[in-house]
Amino acid sequence: MDKLKAGLRKRAGTAVEAREDRGSVVLEGRAPTWEERIGLGCFAARFGFKGVVNDIEVPGLEALDREMPSATVGATTVGATTVGATTVARPLEGASFDAAIIGGGVIGCAIARELAKWRIATVLLEKEEDVAVHTSSRNDGMIHDGFAAKPGSLKAKYNVLGNRLWEPLAREIGIDFERPGSLIVFRGAATKAVYPAFAAIAAINGVDGWEYWSRKRVRSEEPNITDDQEGGFFLPSAGILSPYKATVALAESAMLNGARIALGACATGFEREGNRITRVLSTKGDFRALVVINAAGNWADVVASFADDRFFSLHQRRGVDMILDSSAGRLQNHILGMPSLSQAAAKSKGGGLVKTIEGNILVGPTAAEAPGREAYETSPLELSELEKHIRINRRLSPSMAITYFAGVRPCTYEEDFVVERSSRVANLVHAAGIQSPGLASAPAIAAEIARLAAEILAATKRLSPNESFIARREMPLELRRLPLEERALAIARNPSYGRIVCRCEEVSEGEVRDALRSRLPAASLDAVKRRARAGMGRCHGGFCTPRLMEIAADELHIGLCEVTKKGEGSRIALAETKVGRS
Amino acid sequence: MSETRRFVCIVCPRGCALEVDIDESGRGAILELRGNECRRGDEYGRREILDPRRTLTSTVRASGLSRRRLSVRSSGELPLPRLMEAVRALDSIIVNESVKCGDMVVRDILALGVDIIATDDIGPNEAE
Amino acid sequence: MIPRADYDVIVLGGGPAGLAAAIGASAKGARVGLIEREERLGGILKQCVHDGFGLKRFGEGLTGPEYARRYIDLCAATSTKVHLETFVHRVRREGGKGSGRRFVLECVSGAEGVREIAAPALVLATGCRERTDRQVFIHGDRPAGILTAGLAQRLVNIEGLLPGKKAVMLGSGDIGLIMARRLALEGMAVEGVYEIKAEPSGLARNLQQCLDDFGIPLHLRSTVTAVHGKKRVEAVTVAEVDERGRPRSGTERIVPCDTLVLSVGLIPEDEIAASLGLTLDPATRGPRVDQFGASAVDGVYVCGNALHVNDLVDYVSESGATTGAAAAAFALETTAIETIGPGSGRRAIRIKAGAGFLYAVPQFLDISRPGRAIVYFRSNATIRDGARVRIKAEGAAIFDKLYTALRPPEMERVELDIAAIPARSESLLLELERREAVHE
Repeated sequence: MDKLKAGLRKRAGTAVEAREDRGSVVLEGRAPTWEERIGLGCFAARFGFKGVVNDIEVPGLEALDREMPSATVGATTVGATTVGATTVARPLEGASFDAAIIGGGVIGCAIARELAKWRIATVLLEKEEDVAVHTSSRNDGMIHDGFAAKPGSLKAKYNVLGNRLWEPLAREIGIDFERPGSLIVFRGAATKAVYPAFAAIAAINGVDGWEYWSRKRVRSEEPNITDDQEGGFFLPSAGILSPYKATVALAESAMLNGARIALGACATGFEREGNRITRVLSTKGDFRALVVINAAGNWADVVASFADDRFFSLHQRRGVDMILDSSAGRLQNHILGMPSLSQAAAKSKGGGLVKTIEGNILVGPTAAEAPGREAYETSPLELSELEKHIRINRRLSPSMAITYFAGVRPCTYEEDFVVERSSRVANLVHAAGIQSPGLASAPAIAAEIARLAAEILAATKRLSPNESFIARREMPLELRRLPLEERALAIARNPSYGRIVCRCEEVSEGEVRDALRSRLPAASLDAVKRRARAGMGRCHGGFCTPRLMEIAADELHIGLCEVTKKGEGSRIALAETKVGRS
Repeated sequence: MSETRRFVCIVCPRGCALEVDIDESGRGAILELRGNECRRGDEYGRREILDPRRTLTSTVRASGLSRRRLSVRSSGELPLPRLMEAVRALDSIIVNESVKCGDMVVRDILALGVDIIATDDIGPNEAE
Repeated sequence: MIPRADYDVIVLGGGPAGLAAAIGASAKGARVGLIEREERLGGILKQCVHDGFGLKRFGEGLTGPEYARRYIDLCAATSTKVHLETFVHRVRREGGKGSGRRFVLECVSGAEGVREIAAPALVLATGCRERTDRQVFIHGDRPAGILTAGLAQRLVNIEGLLPGKKAVMLGSGDIGLIMARRLALEGMAVEGVYEIKAEPSGLARNLQQCLDDFGIPLHLRSTVTAVHGKKRVEAVTVAEVDERGRPRSGTERIVPCDTLVLSVGLIPEDEIAASLGLTLDPATRGPRVDQFGASAVDGVYVCGNALHVNDLVDYVSESGATTGAAAAAFALETTAIETIGPGSGRRAIRIKAGAGFLYAVPQFLDISRPGRAIVYFRSNATIRDGARVRIKAEGAAIFDKLYTALRPPEMERVELDIAAIPARSESLLLELERREAVHE
């Protein structure tokens, strides 16, 4: 502590104080900029505390420190009960569950599926109108090999385990999975010289295979590679999948086995007795739970604070990705990255060019500390950074871009996962700080969290395995991939499979209806997009939106004017012409 | 007092920049018109000031038919100052029987001597 | 067994270009199959309820649906078989060279299931799509309320839906101007139209009747740089730009609105063309063709907006008609002769557009066949004080005209007599000579 305090005095004078709280270090005071606030937190993380709780305020940005999800705005906690600002159905009110998972990203949904292997009642709370709305749909879908994780970290451990688990899991839950492998291209002799160090790290982390590729081999494997290369480091175990399809599939697989997914349900607090959580308070009702799992992504430290267990805090690191047209996908075979020496110091994986499972190329991501847990606004600077990634592949150009988007990584100051039982609350388990390689690690993290949750449950009730666990979830139909004869049969059974509504991605009306009727049904156009791909192509909804609206209105039994892009507050059309004239 | 209006002549591709001085007090009489290179420009400029007219193209509601809206046009030009009034008057029109392109949908809109006619076919189902 | 339909000519696309091509091909005696992915023919014209279409073709200013109806009726009077709500999954070739050679389109529809539609000649009349906000680098999150002008037009005119209450519009081309008026007519507030160039792109008539009539301000040398709002647009940031179109810092303004409508350019739809091996001319973004619409691949023809973005539908119809007839001639000759070598008797020379032009179409001229050839061109700058355009072969001018004015958004049409071109010519050169300094 003394060394930390001395270091803080050197950096921040008397503006910042540190104190210990139940094993964690708490930083308080003021910092002039956000960068300095984060920097001080990172500094404090070097001293071996259980966690860093960064309560340093930045003048002008206090609101960000106190940010709460928009779903809870207007909802106040009065005593032990949550009172909603508007009248909303509360279907969870008074219910009882064995396990409550907070957060419907890939981690939460993977945990739900793992827990479904026990005969228990599980509920998953997701505050948005669909799963995978945030971090889980805002990444490149890469199943990392584990090489880039710091040796000895939880990231390294769970990444390598998860990488192996994904292939059989993908088959079970009905999603595509491929292993294109990841090629890290050396820029010049200097970066090439790090190969032995790379190999050593790969060995320590237990990565499944690595190879040195000569300049010639790189050129033959990737004919369009930049001339500016001196060979590369190839990791064959790197995979890709669709992260949002995976999340939906995990959720549906869990539902198939009895789990309940509550959408539009935001946790607002906990009721405790002694050192246990007795009730979970949410915008969809207050209910009892025997074990609570915190998988709340960028809000995980806020959820932890509901139980007075905020032993870590998160800082957000934004990344921007650019999606290139699917014609670009044919110009590349593997995942490509080209680190520079300075990037060795970067905290986020370097990024590069990822060929997605659908055949697009994703360029990026960038990495920048930026306040705002859901701050998805892109900026010109971030885009210009992406252009340097594009240079790795000679045939690519920014003109192939369909769109770009941002994602926000939830990072602890230790830059590692938090996968553990609470030390203060007997029935709380944390899966927090899940930044990259979180997607790759998901099956392994879920297995561990489920094990911890089962441990907690077993102490209070008889726990028996779910003998009738159904591992298989059928992959939704994608007609464009079927051989013509099979496609003809499908259309003969259901003509709506023959009516193409998204011409860029060749998606039929039938597939859109399937998404709207799915076990975890789409209720917005973005949710349809995540499941059926309609609207993801080069025209980005320009042609298909009207037809998609008609189909959604029909399936959801709502008016055309009620169809939303992404849930409440995002209607596509505000009124009918003639009728709605203001 | 006078006011000067500036607009581009659209009679030919030359697109002369017209300037018209209008007498505000004397009920908008044209004091002077400049910028035109020909007589047609002078005529156009004067018409635009004294009696601007426009064709109205819009849609009307359809009910019980294959589509929700039917495209329509005015059979002649309407006075520009009454254009918004005319399009608002169309709000209450609902077509619920088959119509052919050219059929009259509203007779003598706003008593301006101009009809509103359909510019497309519409029927109970799509039959091409 | 996948059922198969055989034709002499397949026309892909049932908008004005495709309809004209089908009619043109039928007139030459070809059996024509027309494939259209929507429920009705007419293409984009169906939603263009405004008038001004057909001034050259019919001498009347028709509305879009009226113009479409004329061609739909003409097409119905031919023996063209129309396949509606039919989507082309893939095109493959069979038969090598020779009279058995076919393009086979694997098609999908609700009514017919999967079927193959084949012909020795294929006319691509697939139109174009709109550039999106991200493609002009507007930053922000992805709220509801951002739409292209074409999407807004379809929602308003076909679905009968208002996209919002208050719109900011980016792009002063005719499509944007028309939609500004349309939204105002239906009761939306249109805060303004922002245009990145120093001059508006649309016709003066539209500036008058879409903006001035409605008191909608036009902001030149300005653009939208960012959108605000998470679920729904709440405002946009607009800024002035420099001569290179880059935002000038310090000029940013926040404009509250709930809708952003973009009319920032059209891009020819040429996925099928690319899949057949056709490369695209970067100036037009469409395949390179000769005056008959014949591409570098024998039997593949391209017309209408899939070839280059037109501003007058009259020229689209003309292009379709010429192309349809040529495709029919090819198909009917093909079935009669044994082999088709590359070009087979064609003598194509390059048409080069010199400085001062955005592009000229066609890019090649087949001088082996006598007759007229239509060449279209666009200047790359607004010229108000006169410009002389010459088309030269072997250094001698075969076309020479003084234009009083030229503007990039207004494409010009030139008729050439092939007989006037010396047989040994290697290329044609378009030259533009301004009389006065250019107005940027």
